[in-house]
Amino acid sequence: MNHGEETILELDRIVKKYRTKAFLFGARGQEVIALNEISIKVTRGEIFGLVGESGSGKTTAGRLIVRLEQPGEGKIYLDGHDITSLKGKASKAYSRRVQMIFQDPYQSLNPQLSIFETISEPLIIHKIGNTKAKEDVVWQAMKSVGLSPPHDFAHRYPHQLSGGQRQRVAIARAMVLNPEFVVADEPTSMLDASMSAQIFNILLEMRKKLNVSFLFITHSLAAARYLCDRIAVIYRGNVVEVGPGDEIIENPKHPYTQALIDALPQFGHSGDVNRYETLLRSERAPSGYGGCPFFLRCKLGSIEKCSREKPPLIRLGDSHSVACFYAESGIKTSSGDNA
Amino acid sequence: MTVFNNDIGLSERFHWISRLLEGWSIYKKSFLGKIGLTLLAVFALMALCSSIPPLIDPMYQPMAGVDPEIFKATGPSTRHWLGTDFMGRDILSQLLTGARIAFMVGVSAAFMSVFLGTVIGMIAGYTGKFMDTFLMRLADMIMVMPALLVLLMLAALFGQLSIWFIVFFIALFRWPGVSRVIRAQTLSLKHRPFIEAARVAGASNLRIIFRHIMPNVLPLSFLYMTFQVTSAIIIEAALAFLGFGDPGTVSWGMMLQWVWKTGHMFKAPYWLLPPGICISLITLSFYMLGRAMDEVLDPRLRKEGETD
Amino acid sequence: MALLVAENLSVGYQTQNGYLHAVEGVSFSLDAGKSLGFVGESGCGKTTLGMAVMRLMPSNGLIREGRILFDGEDLLKKTDEEMRQIRWQEISMIFQAAMNALNPVHRVIDQITEAIHTHTPSHNKDEAYEQVRVLFKFVGLPEDRMRDYPHQYSGGMKQRAIIAMALACKPKLIIADEPTTALDVIVQDQILEETKSLQREFGVSIIYISHDISVVADICHDIGVMYAGQLVEYGAREEVFDNPVHPYTKALLSSYPTLTGEKSKLMPIPGEAPNLINPPFGCRFSDRCTEARVSCRSNPPVWLEITPTHKVLCHQYGKHCGE
Repeated sequence: MNHGEETILELDRIVKKYRTKAFLFGARGQEVIALNEISIKVTRGEIFGLVGESGSGKTTAGRLIVRLEQPGEGKIYLDGHDITSLKGKASKAYSRRVQMIFQDPYQSLNPQLSIFETISEPLIIHKIGNTKAKEDVVWQAMKSVGLSPPHDFAHRYPHQLSGGQRQRVAIARAMVLNPEFVVADEPTSMLDASMSAQIFNILLEMRKKLNVSFLFITHSLAAARYLCDRIAVIYRGNVVEVGPGDEIIENPKHPYTQALIDALPQFGHSGDVNRYETLLRSERAPSGYGGCPFFLRCKLGSIEKCSREKPPLIRLGDSHSVACFYAESGIKTSSGDNA
Repeated sequence: MTVFNNDIGLSERFHWISRLLEGWSIYKKSFLGKIGLTLLAVFALMALCSSIPPLIDPMYQPMAGVDPEIFKATGPSTRHWLGTDFMGRDILSQLLTGARIAFMVGVSAAFMSVFLGTVIGMIAGYTGKFMDTFLMRLADMIMVMPALLVLLMLAALFGQLSIWFIVFFIALFRWPGVSRVIRAQTLSLKHRPFIEAARVAGASNLRIIFRHIMPNVLPLSFLYMTFQVTSAIIIEAALAFLGFGDPGTVSWGMMLQWVWKTGHMFKAPYWLLPPGICISLITLSFYMLGRAMDEVLDPRLRKEGETD
Repeated sequence: MALLVAENLSVGYQTQNGYLHAVEGVSFSLDAGKSLGFVGESGCGKTTLGMAVMRLMPSNGLIREGRILFDGEDLLKKTDEEMRQIRWQEISMIFQAAMNALNPVHRVIDQITEAIHTHTPSHNKDEAYEQVRVLFKFVGLPEDRMRDYPHQYSGGMKQRAIIAMALACKPKLIIADEPTTALDVIVQDQILEETKSLQREFGVSIIYISHDISVVADICHDIGVMYAGQLVEYGAREEVFDNPVHPYTKALLSSYPTLTGEKSKLMPIPGEAPNLINPPFGCRFSDRCTEARVSCRSNPPVWLEITPTHKVLCHQYGKHCGE
């Protein structure tokens, strides 16, 4: 692990809202807040895990980083430069530095293009090298993801490959431009255990050899523990806990994180794991105030404080931050500084 | 790695061939497809042979070749297998030429309309917003216009229309239908992850449309071409029958015009029936071709995902 | 007395490219009130196995060999009509992605009462309604949501509705194929807890099919590990999970990241599963097995007993016999 303390990517109080389509008899659609002022910092060479369930906004965060969508409020910084509203040439230059690995290997490859064409596409778009140089780069990329010997795979089409192989093609495609930052959006959720393990190891290799930084989006705490240096837990568009991977898992402070750990199937983990029991059996009725996003399901929540005030992210020392009034009190920092 | 350059040639060639063969083996299973293809082969043969009769004897010229000994419509004989028309011209050579015209008109008009429709449909579907609305409203306007009537008006204004003018106008009236379908297909492709991946890689809209969307949309275009051929042939025949075709070309519709105009409709079945039957059969066979191709292009053939 | 016994079951599909040996020589037994889990990667035959027990094979499917004894009677000898009687009343099934099986234009309660009515026409409308109320309570669905349409339910609620439907006719056996795969981990945990308590309440037997071995170990008394259409290890969950013998089981267990314990490097299993149209004659796992010997490829493995309840399909057992 050779990352310095330099921040490669920063999300600063990002807000993203969606308006659902108006129903036939409704006035307008409902507004859904996908991301509610989240702030994240990733250092160079780090694998940063973003863990959350469906609807947490984790995928949205990833899409904002690769600029498939624009944030409503807030800023995104790459290497200190504000990239939130890039256009034209600058936007294209950005795509050389930041790439994405998509979740569904069955949909993220163009079925009409051969593997070679798919992997060389970014090189063609950015006009990198002559034909021979492109060949070499693609060959190298294929070897590094384990699609060896390359000429066996180059002219095949996606439907001739397994899910695991397709995902490796997707990784090769993302890496071929030698990006500095890669968003991996649940790259293994559609794969079997063995194929997932292969993909994890490939990502670790990439980080080691090329010093690429990753944002690893997942719903699996166990996968995040294996892969990630630091983990942020996100709930309904809010970052509720951030810290070093092992620390978050061994010593979780937020009731939601604790509930996630409780929920993992226990057998075979031979009672090492504490039962935190922070989840209410059934949800509270919404009160209509702001307040903590987790209040409705939290056993610890108090009507007075938690349902009215949203807890800020407070640093508890050792770069571990939690957004909960009941966590051990620590040093309050400004809006989510968690480096 | 010069070996690789040779490889790409071979494997790419192989891939096209293997895909074609795969498609063919599925096509072969369709009963309709086989009949359609056989009929089309017959017509294609007719079209190819259309230049033979005049070479045998100038009297077999479809337009100008008059049998020196015959001055009226006569039935089938050894000299004229299908008989002669009212001027003594050989009906069979007219029929063969008509086949050639049908293919020309049908395929050209179909190709042009599909080309236009595909490009416009893709641009409308992918770009969205103003361009989409504009193009689709344009398509609506054209679809609402009665093609035949407009062509008749043009013919009345400009006198007789040349055959290529007719082809061009058929294409101009038929592209909207294709563009609607292609646009729908484009819309469904637009949000697929592999298109997003191309955007993330930095591809421009133009590149995405022509490199990523087009290959996925072309099979549908090909399918539509077969349907467009049928309508093109019928429109041309209708125009010719009504007297607004190109007087210099001998198409089946033109033959029907002559039968009718010269009052031989009920008197010379050997003259009336062949062109009519040919028009019906060729449109039927293109339709059957299209149906069989539909099975070939069905997505259930693509082996996506894993089972169990 | 065992509720369900399969003896040497072989099932396959007739495909364009030949006969696909999806399930080969599988034998197991399940007692009343217990649960049995089948674990394996995609393509191993576990879903086919579940469908075969219900005799819901597609038209190109074929149960080539073996017996399936349910309550002592061979299901393979039953007529279609007899099977129809058995399905849902005695054996019900929760398919993969079952929550998509709810008809969007009918209310949830109507779909469940229809299931009840089809199989027990003697129940009148009120009785069926009452039954559904009781079921909803058991699966943890609020009563006031009975008359809703499926799209108004969340994923977890839909899955609970499916479970209620499967329980509607009080079957003796439920076959559940990846019932919680699409659900979030907290919802999954809740449903697994409820399933365990339902089993205690109703005494229903469960066959649980999944690719996730930790889920299976959490809920099932016995585990069967499947690879390439064959059962390769079979035993009580403590035995299989804590003392795996078959190299595939060991490899499978070490390819999952864990939340506790040492963070060792995940070992993916090299290579790919064999083509089941022409399966290898010898051990099907041999070309990916780190402990394989030459004889493994040439001779099919046999069942070897480790304990009276734990058996494994492997040549190498003799080596590990020391334990």
